[in-house]
Amino acid sequence: MSATSTEIENLIGQEYKQGFVTELEVDTFPVGLDEEVIRKLSIVKNEPEFMLEYRLKAFRHWQTMDKPDWAQLNIEPIDYQAISYYSAPKNIEKLGSLDEVDPELLETYKKLGIPLDEQKQLANVAVDAVFDSVSVATTFKGKLHDAGVIFCPISEAIRDYPELVKEYLSSVVPVGDNFFAALNSAVFTDGSFVYIPKGVRCPMELSTYFRINASNTGQFERTLIIADEGSHVSYLEGCSAPQRDENQLHAAVVELVILKDAEIKYSTVQNWYPGDKDGKGGIYNFVTKRADCLGDNAKVSWTQVETGSAITWKYPSCVLTGDNSVGEFYSVALTNNLQQADTGTKMIHIGKNTTSTIISKGISAGRAQNTYRGLVKVLKNADNARNYTQCDSLLVGDKCGAHTFPYIEVKQPSAQVEHEATTSKISEDQLFFCQQRGLSAEDAVSMIVNGFCKEVFKELPMEFAVEAQALLGISLEGSVG
Amino acid sequence: MNAQLASHYSSDYPEYAANLSGQSVAWLKTLRSEALATFSSTGFPTLREEEWRYTNVSAIEKKRFKPVEKTGTINENLLKTYRLDDAWTMVFVDGYFSPEHSHTSGLSDEVELSSIADILETQAEKLKPYLGQAVSNDEHNFVAFNTAWFNDGVFLNIPAKQVLSKPIQLLHIVSQPDALVTTRNIIVAGKHSESEIIETFIGENAYLNAAVNEVFVEENAALTLYKLQSESTKSYHFGGTYVKQQPNSRFNHNSFSFGALLARNDVHTDLETASECSLNGLYLGVKRQHIDNHTRINHNKPHGISREFYKGILDNRARGVFQGRVVVVEDAQKTDSEMNNRNLLLSNDAEVDTKPQLEIYADDVKCAHGVTVGQLEEKSIFYLQSRGVDEETARNVLTFAFANEMVDKVSIDSLKTLLETELLKSLPIEL
Repeated sequence: MSATSTEIENLIGQEYKQGFVTELEVDTFPVGLDEEVIRKLSIVKNEPEFMLEYRLKAFRHWQTMDKPDWAQLNIEPIDYQAISYYSAPKNIEKLGSLDEVDPELLETYKKLGIPLDEQKQLANVAVDAVFDSVSVATTFKGKLHDAGVIFCPISEAIRDYPELVKEYLSSVVPVGDNFFAALNSAVFTDGSFVYIPKGVRCPMELSTYFRINASNTGQFERTLIIADEGSHVSYLEGCSAPQRDENQLHAAVVELVILKDAEIKYSTVQNWYPGDKDGKGGIYNFVTKRADCLGDNAKVSWTQVETGSAITWKYPSCVLTGDNSVGEFYSVALTNNLQQADTGTKMIHIGKNTTSTIISKGISAGRAQNTYRGLVKVLKNADNARNYTQCDSLLVGDKCGAHTFPYIEVKQPSAQVEHEATTSKISEDQLFFCQQRGLSAEDAVSMIVNGFCKEVFKELPMEFAVEAQALLGISLEGSVG
Repeated sequence: MNAQLASHYSSDYPEYAANLSGQSVAWLKTLRSEALATFSSTGFPTLREEEWRYTNVSAIEKKRFKPVEKTGTINENLLKTYRLDDAWTMVFVDGYFSPEHSHTSGLSDEVELSSIADILETQAEKLKPYLGQAVSNDEHNFVAFNTAWFNDGVFLNIPAKQVLSKPIQLLHIVSQPDALVTTRNIIVAGKHSESEIIETFIGENAYLNAAVNEVFVEENAALTLYKLQSESTKSYHFGGTYVKQQPNSRFNHNSFSFGALLARNDVHTDLETASECSLNGLYLGVKRQHIDNHTRINHNKPHGISREFYKGILDNRARGVFQGRVVVVEDAQKTDSEMNNRNLLLSNDAEVDTKPQLEIYADDVKCAHGVTVGQLEEKSIFYLQSRGVDEETARNVLTFAFANEMVDKVSIDSLKTLLETELLKSLPIEL
């Protein structure tokens, strides 16, 4: 490795390939946050009264809370009064077709390879694209409508399906759950809402692409997915942000409600701007994601590929309330340069015969810090609960760190809980073997890392798996050793 | 309770301090008063501290344990059961060294083995290079508590190249109710020396035992430390062993935690270049026992090797905790570390919380950890049943075997026999 170390240093300095800024007219609130801003936000979003009350309750709770500091992260203090809490692209008066969408925006998506236009038909993907805070285009509505599936921006759902929203919003992540969830509840501007009715298998994979665009705009997305009895849905979330110098806060909340016999598969590819090689700029990604398997035989599967963001702080969790419910978590987290990630999951076994699987792959390169933090909790009545956890870390370079902090709490003797973790670097033997077969060191590492992550990639939907592999390739090109 | 102080133990301190050994030694007095200040500011650790999140010690604060007078009356039978015949023995009764129960004849004159209280009278300077060097008050407040309160203990200095022919047993017996016992041991294993030490904690009634060991393993030395914690089931036990290892040294620790109502065992070791450590443990909880094992291995230099293996059996309403942490700093390349924790839950009300942690800042390392929590395998029970063994016996045999794996690692015969007897006594089984 020593022989190639200078090469590595050179390679690590890769530019962020998705870094471009779309020039677009933006309607933005002045910076600052108080009750007035929240009232104004609620009016702008044309929300019913209960939402304003909900937001104010969250805001008042948030004011009493302190920023958590238990994570293995080094975070510059955030000035919440220096953020504008609303920013919407202009000219979005009820678009009938894609033609009416700002061509510049379409161009942005094209650069990202998002199949928003005709290709989407081939890809069989309905896209609810969120550009900054307001959904600008929603496709495949008809087909989904026929199946009875509701897939719309959450702001629309608040107006059109207030009963559903009222019943399930914050039923999984309470407003005061944590600092960032409370903030999100107070100020979220938009996000996605999905309702799959009883016994319906969603005819296509649903997808939302998030973009953070306007400078200085905190992004507070809110996603709520409800899978009614016996339904099934696969949801894709993908992110990318243009290059910026200031740190941008992203505090999203995702809630999944899974009723009896239903299944939700939630896949994420996160490739936000990680900051430059000196750690300047980059997105703060503080996300609360939680699924509640309320009914018996419910199943939830989180798959995430985290390559971007300056700081990632997220723990997609599964609350296994129903008997025989299943929770899965597959994760690849890659950090390079000065990126920091503290990510993992929580599996709370409440019902009988509940099963959970955790596969976590952490790759740390450059001067990055990558932490797996997970909780497996088996409550007293969770007879025959079963958990298998595997966390592997790969270190690339001698200045990075990889940490594993599992918490295992078992109160039920029939539970079977296994946890395994390893940390190592890419073996010289493997590298040498690949190189003597004619692969460059870089390709060899990319190949080995892809193999390392295979268990997770195979859980991703096809299109995403391809994107994820490419992403990993791009991120690793520079960080190989 | 004094409003200024976080603990009533602090308000009792001045009265007690007047009679402490070595109070005329200026540097020690400073050390103790600093420790008292640290302890008094926040009192005993609370659940809010990450390293104590599973262990609630507030019961200790609610009680009022007090240092007791030296009496000398003890349960001779109890002592006899635990005193090993093939070892040199230093016996401490209620925290005071008891020469009449100890025997060290035949131990080489070059080996210094004496009571800390004695040394503090005349040769306090000998302790200065060691006291507070392997662990500081910042560790947590039990350490600060011990530093402020300790009155006696053992100073063992094994000179270079000494190979001890017999193990040394440090036997702590407590018999007075509500006693507060705080001993501090300083163990120095000189270069190229080899030695085995057995710490034994026994007692009757309810009391608090807060013991701290500071261990220094010099270059190329090998030290094995056994700890048998078989305190009274009404007592509270804190035992911390803090180790500084020099290059090429080897340190083995085998902990057997069977007794006490609430027990917390700390083993922390700092590894130097190419040094090795092996930490093993067995914890066994029945009724309402709470046993917390806390280990930390700091790989500070390259080529270190660490192995850790802890097993737990929890029955009735007992709760077991394992928190293991391995830290590999940036320079500690070629570190090889393995950690394992296996738990057997035998009852619906038992609980285990385990937290194995890896914190790695170097790339050329091999680190792994594994944890399991479960019950006896049905297949194994079925196999034994198919061989004509009834189910209950099958379960008992398998439970014993699960625990006995740790006893098998013991190389001292008399200790091994004692542990097997203890195991059979403590396990909720009959064989």
